[in-house]
Amino acid sequence: MSVPQRSTGKALWGLAVLGLAGVVATYPVAGPARFWANWLLWFLFMLTIAMGSLFIVALEHLVGSRWSVPLRRIPERLSTLLLPAVPMALVALGALPVLYPGTRPEAAHDPVLAGKAFWLSTPFVSTRMVLCLALWLVGVAVLTGGSLRQDRTRDPGFNVNARRFAPAFLAIFALTLTLVAFDWISALEPKWYSDIFGVYLFAGTFLAALAATAASVVYLKDRGRLEGVRPAHLYNLGAYLFAFTVFWSYIAFAQYLLMWYGDMPEEIFWYKERLAGPWLGVALLLGVVHFLIPFLALIPRDAKGDTRRLCWVAVLMLAAHAMDLYWLIFPVLGRTPLLSWPEASFAVFFVSGGLLWVRAAMERGEDMPAGDPFLSEGLEFRL
Amino acid sequence: MSQHMFGVVGLFESADGLMAAIPKVREAGLGKVEAYTPYPVHGLDKALGQRRSPLGGMVMIMGVLGALTAFLFQWWISGIDYPIVTGGKAPTSWQAFVPIMFEVTVLFATFTAGLGMLFFLNKLPFFGHPLLHAKAIAAITRDRFGLAIESEGGAFDVAAAVRTLESAGARPIEVISVPSFSGPITAKYLERSLLGIAIACAVSGYATYWAVKLFPVLPPTSHMLVQPRLDPQKPSAFFKDGHGMQLPVPGTVARGYLPLGLASQEEAATLVNPLAVTQKVLEEGRQAYMNHCVVCHGPLANGVPTLSSAYGAKPANLQAKQFREYPDGKIYWAIVMGKNAMPSYAADLSEEERWAVIHYLRALQRAQNAKPGDVDGGQPGAGSRGRTKGSAP
Repeated sequence: MSVPQRSTGKALWGLAVLGLAGVVATYPVAGPARFWANWLLWFLFMLTIAMGSLFIVALEHLVGSRWSVPLRRIPERLSTLLLPAVPMALVALGALPVLYPGTRPEAAHDPVLAGKAFWLSTPFVSTRMVLCLALWLVGVAVLTGGSLRQDRTRDPGFNVNARRFAPAFLAIFALTLTLVAFDWISALEPKWYSDIFGVYLFAGTFLAALAATAASVVYLKDRGRLEGVRPAHLYNLGAYLFAFTVFWSYIAFAQYLLMWYGDMPEEIFWYKERLAGPWLGVALLLGVVHFLIPFLALIPRDAKGDTRRLCWVAVLMLAAHAMDLYWLIFPVLGRTPLLSWPEASFAVFFVSGGLLWVRAAMERGEDMPAGDPFLSEGLEFRL
Repeated sequence: MSQHMFGVVGLFESADGLMAAIPKVREAGLGKVEAYTPYPVHGLDKALGQRRSPLGGMVMIMGVLGALTAFLFQWWISGIDYPIVTGGKAPTSWQAFVPIMFEVTVLFATFTAGLGMLFFLNKLPFFGHPLLHAKAIAAITRDRFGLAIESEGGAFDVAAAVRTLESAGARPIEVISVPSFSGPITAKYLERSLLGIAIACAVSGYATYWAVKLFPVLPPTSHMLVQPRLDPQKPSAFFKDGHGMQLPVPGTVARGYLPLGLASQEEAATLVNPLAVTQKVLEEGRQAYMNHCVVCHGPLANGVPTLSSAYGAKPANLQAKQFREYPDGKIYWAIVMGKNAMPSYAADLSEEERWAVIHYLRALQRAQNAKPGDVDGGQPGAGSRGRTKGSAP
């Protein structure tokens, strides 16, 4: 460990403590609703990065891709963000009576909500969430834990097990991530429904995890680690990022277009809130930073393997993902976007805390899955 | 037959040998240096100093053009040329254009990529590469790596080229000269023929169109105009009386209406109310009564109207004994045909509404002449018409 890195750690700790003070102060000063909305945003941010990373790992095992083997340890380490996300999820259950109309007693008098009353009730939502968390922890234990164990044992049996486990996990992933989208975001306005919303969150999740992976890979390569990772590997990561910015936009626009065409009162009110007044500005900015800039920046062939460009696009994508969640969650608090010291301190606390966790995670095990029999094949990958 | 100097090609045993030789041969600057390999060799294009393919830029430009084309085309059609409001949306709603813009962008981009690569960059159609005349091609398609110095461009000199390749380690070396004319069907000939056919098709199509339009030897197809069709208010030879419009067949019944078929109110007394007494029917009857009857007969049906009696005639007091003992059919006849000053309500009330009004009227009559048994605790079914308890308002 060199000196500047230790000082970075200290600065992160300082920022985290500073942010924590703001986070604690938010509850009494700015009110519980704002506290819970912020909490929800950053809880989902952490959770989606962790889940998306786990998805990348499971996808690699499922399709048996070789090029990504040298990079696999990075999403594996990022998936450990699920461990801090578990207590965050349990705390987030406190938001249910505050932010979610479906849990309030007056929901029983609403004919639409009365039909969904059991589904939206606090006990059932909490049970579902705990079950999901348990399933995800199994995923982390099998895929990440097993891979870290393989560093020591060099047992190729792990690859066989992981390949058997991956399809089942991906099926669970699809269902549970849809539940996350419906329970934590859609349920903020329980009269609104969109079948594609789970896919929308998945697109953002996968993109955020790819961005976090790409940024981590560039970070480690800058420090002389991950030797053997070629521009070709980075090119593939960049191509993934490029493709999924388009996928996210496609899904986001498809959802909007159908609701705009139908113009049904029970659907369109959700967009009317989010495309009115200052929120329209946020939506347009989202289109620019979540699609236009990364799309144009990654079009040229050389751009996808260029570490510097990949790094800033990845950081931009992570910021865009947080903004996406902000645009989804915060309009329930009012017609004006809230952006002041509570949002800033939540961002500072969770970003610095998350970075501290990821920095520590980057020291776990070896930088590449050394025990994986396909590692050498992956290192030989060329375009 | 005259010979045409193509260049000199040397063979290498391995890709590494080829890669090592390329800088030396390029340095000599004798002509265009080109490699011929049995499979793609990594880094070859860079070593040969080939310029970046312009295909990416072409695809980008055509993609943007595709998006613009689709947008302007739809904007012009739906906003300017033939504006139609669809689904309550403004004719120039950009949201509706996006899917087509996406498709046309992809169409232009992929066609540019595919056709641009084949015809613009690979210069197809292209038969008979000069190398195919060389002995070396057999080895190149098997396991050898060929490096050629080609005569086009640079200060080409056969002897110098052979020496350069030799010193770079190529064995064997072959000088390739090809007949300058290789047969009647050349690529140029094919290109010209295809172009000629395309132009001929376009010209003849255009000429046919205008010839038929300006000199109509045959009448144009007009099946849509000449139809054995009956136009309203027009004569028609189809019917004997020469009219296009015909009276309905005698005895025709309009949809939703049953014929009364009765000459007098007395005859109508035999009609039976087809509706059962339910909450829904009574509600429907009340609605119709409030809309049509209440202004004259009054809310209690006692002939005290809700509108002041500015109108001369005195409405009937339906609570009178005479009307309470009226059979349903006679009231029905009065609604359909009108009675005294009361006009016919056949046009205002449907078949079902008329009978529902009668049920409601019966309820009003009973409410005004209630017996002790009608209220809660009394004998169920005490009413003369067998109504259930509580059906009266």
